[in-house]
Amino acid sequence: MITVWHYLAVGAALFGLGLVGFLTRRNFIKMFLCAEMMLQGVVLNLLAFGKLHGDLGGQVFGLFIVTVAACEAGLALALFLTLYRRGKTLDSGAWQSIREAKVPASVDADPLRRTFEVPDPTLTPAGRRPARTEDEVRV
Amino acid sequence: MTALFALAPVGPLAAAQVLGAVLLATVGVSLLLPRPRGRAVGLGVFLTIAAGVVAVGFVATSFGGRLATGDLPALVEQGLFWLFSVTALVFGVVLIVQANPARGALAFAFVVLSTCGLFLLLAAPFLMAATVIIYAGAIIVTFLFVLMLSNAKGPSDENDRSREPLLGSLAGFAFAGLVFLTLYLTAGRAADAPPSLLPAAAIRPEDKAELLAAAAELKQAADPATAKDVVGRLGYAAQARITAVVGAATGEYSQYSHGRTLQDRLRPAETDYRTADIIRQADELRRLKKAASDALENAILDPSPDVAPLQARLTELREKTLLLAGRGELPARNVTAVGHALYSEYLIAVELAGTLLLVATIGAVAIASRKGVTA
Repeated sequence: MITVWHYLAVGAALFGLGLVGFLTRRNFIKMFLCAEMMLQGVVLNLLAFGKLHGDLGGQVFGLFIVTVAACEAGLALALFLTLYRRGKTLDSGAWQSIREAKVPASVDADPLRRTFEVPDPTLTPAGRRPARTEDEVRV
Repeated sequence: MTALFALAPVGPLAAAQVLGAVLLATVGVSLLLPRPRGRAVGLGVFLTIAAGVVAVGFVATSFGGRLATGDLPALVEQGLFWLFSVTALVFGVVLIVQANPARGALAFAFVVLSTCGLFLLLAAPFLMAATVIIYAGAIIVTFLFVLMLSNAKGPSDENDRSREPLLGSLAGFAFAGLVFLTLYLTAGRAADAPPSLLPAAAIRPEDKAELLAAAAELKQAADPATAKDVVGRLGYAAQARITAVVGAATGEYSQYSHGRTLQDRLRPAETDYRTADIIRQADELRRLKKAASDALENAILDPSPDVAPLQARLTELREKTLLLAGRGELPARNVTAVGHALYSEYLIAVELAGTLLLVATIGAVAIASRKGVTA
């Protein structure tokens, strides 16, 4: 039998996964998606409690959370656009110059593996280019 | 940590399960997160799957995971619940560890779809539809941003590096593990505590104790020797207790309808074109309520009441009440009920949400339309 605790556990797991992604990933868009996943976990909690009590307050709260998430999405994407215009990157680590005082800068120790792409093979032209003898086709 | 465990009655099995799931998930996901030196995909996937299995075991042993054989709707509900939750969590892990943001957005779409399935299981079809529509738009916009802003040539700092993979994973999964432990403590040992079904069971053990105390008081009030001074006080106290326990079932006022009577709650629906049906349901509900009240009084006056049929009667009454209000197991009038709640009880909140959307739109336009700003 599925109880309210099952839904709460799934909500907590979704929230934890989103937290992990938000803390570890450096792409702004990825961090935004992880924050949205955390919100999904919260909405799941609200709906489970709403159904437990037979009350519509949970669903109404869920609707408001979706509204706030939409506002957040609009503002976040506008901010990402501005930051990309300034720094030409989506890396949140590129903006560590605005960190708090006395916090040491994080340095990327390992160099990125640059994969040098081999160009697509092409056939060397052989023989001579055939002359155009026939007339142009008019359709 | 040991002090916490000493204070709280956590069983060793549950503590071991939660701790194991947290550690396995931390190591597994931190191995899977992108890093310049390459990642250990096989070991990471194995450890993450092991963590998921341990977590599912914890949930099943602590909150009840026995298959409801013979009860087809419950079995289908269980199957759909596990399907949607496992899909959501698997695609959540994919969203975290995927280096390509476009593929991450695709995984997020699956997370949203699975969560919407869970919304549907929780009797919220309107919220499910709204979430699908809104997040479909959000994901398409995210795709556009990825196409616009990401330079797909070779590895980049933002996609192929992680910030503190081990510590970050530990923080997130330790948080989830603590929430699991809190849930476990709150739920009590599910083995000896009765399961709190959805919706809540009408009578719990403490409710039963309350009802028995009320029965004792009513009995005292019914005794002619002691009746004179206690009948008013104790009688009303017992009635209030019964109302508090049974909720919408017998009392004149319901704790689930914000202090309004059932008739008041039904009045807005009288202008509906389904009026006749609603009135018929309401009449049946009133009849059931009277019968249940009589049965309850008889049971209370009985020194050793038989609770099971009474409980069934009250559960049926409560479910019929919830169904009539559009809030029950079968969400047939969910949209109507949500709309009514939004525009009657939460009107100011709706206005504030609209204002918030307007302000956010203005802010987004103001932020994004600044031109010529360079570092």
